[in-house]
Order: sequence, then C-alpha cells, then structure tokens
Amino acid sequence: MLRWFEKAETSSGNIVYSRIRLARNWDGHMFPQKLSDEEGLDLVKRLEFGLKDLTQDDGRTYEYALLNDLKDLDRQALRERRILNSGTVAKKSPVGIILSEDEATSIVLNGDDHIRLQILAPGLHLEELWQRADRLDDYINARFPYAFDEKYGYLTSYPTNTGTGLRACAILHLPTLSMGKKFSNMLAELSRFGVTIRGVYGEGSENYGALYEVANQKTLGQSEKEIVELVTKIARQLDAQERKVRRMALENHRLEREDEAYKSYGILKYARRLTRKDAMIFLSQLMAGMADRLIRTEEPCSVYRLMLGIQTANLQKLSSKPLNQEELDVARAAYLRRELPLLREQIS
Amino acid sequence: MLCEKCRIREANIKYTEIINGVKKEHNLCSQCAREMDFTGYSAIFDGEFPLGKLLSGLLGVGEEEEQQEDKLAQVVCPTCGTSYEEFVKNSRFGCSDCYSVFDLLMSDNIKKLQGGDAHVGKRPKYQKMQPASAVLEKDEEPSRRTAKEQIELLKAKLSTAIAEEEYEQAAKYRDEIRELEKEENQDA
Repeated sequence: MLRWFEKAETSSGNIVYSRIRLARNWDGHMFPQKLSDEEGLDLVKRLEFGLKDLTQDDGRTYEYALLNDLKDLDRQALRERRILNSGTVAKKSPVGIILSEDEATSIVLNGDDHIRLQILAPGLHLEELWQRADRLDDYINARFPYAFDEKYGYLTSYPTNTGTGLRACAILHLPTLSMGKKFSNMLAELSRFGVTIRGVYGEGSENYGALYEVANQKTLGQSEKEIVELVTKIARQLDAQERKVRRMALENHRLEREDEAYKSYGILKYARRLTRKDAMIFLSQLMAGMADRLIRTEEPCSVYRLMLGIQTANLQKLSSKPLNQEELDVARAAYLRRELPLLREQIS
Repeated sequence: MLCEKCRIREANIKYTEIINGVKKEHNLCSQCAREMDFTGYSAIFDGEFPLGKLLSGLLGVGEEEEQQEDKLAQVVCPTCGTSYEEFVKNSRFGCSDCYSVFDLLMSDNIKKLQGGDAHVGKRPKYQKMQPASAVLEKDEEPSRRTAKEQIELLKAKLSTAIAEEEYEQAAKYRDEIRELEKEENQDA
C-alpha cells in the first residue's frame, strides 16, 4: 500500500499538505515526564491494548510498535516524515506508536503527552481532517477517560497546548513569495492573527525548499472550528498571494521561469552527486515549474515525496551500510535519477 | 559605566523593566546579566531561544517579587511532586492536578500567552464531567480521592494563595482543610 505522500498529486497547488494534531492525557495518571520507565511501559501497553481494534473502527490497517525497539535510524526517518517530533525521537523512556499503513494517521503514546493523535492529508483539508480526528478522539475517549478541566479544557503537559489540545497546520510551498523583501514583515504580521509560520527545513533564507508551516498559536479560548477556519483562511490567503506573484513572474519572465524549471530537472535527473541543500533548491524550482505547468512529467509525480526521500535518514535506510557525507550525496543523486519520471514531449 | 552589580566589569547591557507602570533601568555586564537570568535572558547567550525558555520568562517572576520566591518555592504539587520552580524552569506540568495547584500563579500568564483563559470547544463525550476545583466539592466524587489526599492538595493550594497574597482564597482553603481534618478525626 502506498503511503499518503507517495500517491501522485491530484492538485498541484502550493498547499502541500495539512495536518491535525490532538494532545490528550489519560485521567488519573501523571504526565509522561513524571512516569518511571516501568510506569511508562505499563501505560503504553494498556493504551495499546485498549486501542487494538482500531482497524475495525475505521477500516485502516494499523501497526503497533514500541519506539524503543526501533533502530535509531528508523526513528530519525519517522521524524523526517513528520510522524515524530524531535523531542520524542530523543526520548529514552518507553514511547509507543500506532501507525496506519499509509502513515497518514498516527498515535504517539507516552511522548510529550499520553496520547498524541495526528492525521495528515495532501492539499488543504483541515475541516475533513478535524472531523476524522474528532471521531477517532471519541473512539479513544470511550475507552480512556481524559484529563479535562472546565476552565483549562484538555489538560496537557505544556501550557501551550491546553484547552483544545489542537494544532492545525498547513504546509505551503512559497518559493516566490519568500524571495520578496516584505516576506519577513508579513510573517511577523501573521502573529497578530494568532497564527505562527516557520520554515519547515530551517529559518529565513536557510529554508531550502521554501516549504512553510502555518499553524494556530493558541489553543485556549478558541473552539476547534474557529482554529480550523483560521488556519484554512490564512493558508488560502498565502496561497493566493503566492499565485499572484507567480503569475506576475510568468507574465514578465516566462523564459527565465521555464529555463529554471528545465535546468533544475536536468540537474536532478542527471547529476552524479547532490547535497541536500542543492537537491532541495532544485526540487523546489521543479515543484513550482510543475505547478505552473511549465514542465510536465510523463507520469504524475509528487515532488514532496522526493523531498522526503532525499532527507538523510530516509536515504540512509535504503543502503545496507552506513554512508559518509560524500556517499550520501552520491546516493541522493542516484535516488533522484531513479525516481524522477521522464518528461512529457514538449508541444511548442 | 561600570556594571551596577559587580562593579568590576564595564556595563554593556541596559535592561529596562516596567512593572506596574514603574520604570527601572539597570546597567549590567553580560556576565552578571547572565547570572541573573531575567526573562530567560541567558538563552540569548546560549544561541537559542526555544519556546520553553520564552515561556519561562513569561511565567517566571521579576525582581520585585523576589521575596515571594521563597514562599513560592515551597509550593509542590502533592500528586506528582512538581515544584513551582521546576514548573517555571521547564514550562511543563507534571500531572493534571498541577493545574489546580498552580492555578493562581499562572492564570494571568496563561491568559497572556494564550490570549484566553477559559476553554471553549469540544468536551469529552464519554466521561463524567468534573472541574479541577471539584476536588473541593467532595460530595460529587467521593471515591476519587481519599480525605488525606484532598488535604494535601488543599495545603498546596493554600501556600500558593498565601504566596500570591490572595488571602480571601487562602482563608477558604484553610477552612476547608480544617473541616476535612475534623471529619477525618471523627471517622477515626
């Protein structure tokens, strides 16, 4: 079965994917940070047991694993695919993970909170994701009572999550907008609306790949519906802004844009070694070129899948022996040569 | 100008503090500034500014309330053993009872941080509702906590209230503790 990001893109807009995360804690138990390893393991086992029939509920196939049984590389790869956050990857105490076959639905047990439910989908579908998360949340709640307070809502380890425990995110590709001088001002402006935006692979001009994550800042005092609507609205606006500047660039500099897209494709398809930085820059340009229909591949191709595939741990996983920096660059180029589909004959 | 704290090194940091409209200026050298660590200042030197540190800055207390610090340091959540100091440092709760123990100390800061201080939105579907404050109204959930545990929790809340100079609240907690202790003695 294909993982969610491996399915060929249906719409090649600037909104790469959306994500809903819910933080919950089991009532009557101390938060993970305060649990001993035995208590943590016991909690994970009991939660896993209570949720063993998830498949019957929504028809998806789930895998159950203890993070501590996984190799370090596999944990890192899960982080790169956004299933785990860096804090959880580093955790030595028992952490459980329930992962759907397509990796779109995941439940992390005893990470930062007892239960962290995450659902992803390509494109902007926060509304639907929230509905699914809401249902799954009820399913879990029917088995495990939650730590909940009239005033503070769902109680979480961090005060930044209490209330709804909901983080709604949209991941956007903003290659042209982010090059503008006013971009950093705009990002600062956004916090006034109660959302944060940050580079997925680094800050400022270091964010190679030009992927940005927009998420709600607050979890208390706003309903889930309001949060989902807010993030959706901001994501749509950023998308519209990016489209606008791209359209302008296309009108005035079509040849340059075309050239950029084809050169990027050429390098990705034929290079013998590629650093992560270079690969991200070229993939970003290819992604923009494909979205603007300047360049088309024979088969549909998800550029985001390639972006995930060239990250260090995921690349390393394909090889049987540990790779050094240079070998990684060679493996990265080989991976891209293999995975990039051929171009469709240009009609012009 | 020399640093006002050590009076040895040159002051290269100007720190302006406005508390309740009263403006105070401090001239410090970077070393003293780091030692004082107001508002998570040392994070700047460590070259990172994680949200946690920022939060501690927000949740932490300024110089003016230093004398309160001692009292606050004694506040410990009886359920999980998280102290106020630990809570401010990590910006992290240890268990759901921490919310009621540290309620008075942080509700303003949480409001600042979150923009709101009361939950709206979804509520758990499949459980009996009970607010954190319901531990006081023992008739509602008699089996949940033993009287002894309730007294411990109330004592923690009492010391928070005293530290925050919320004497009305403190008196309420004191009376509740007395009531519970009396009952317990009768039972015994």
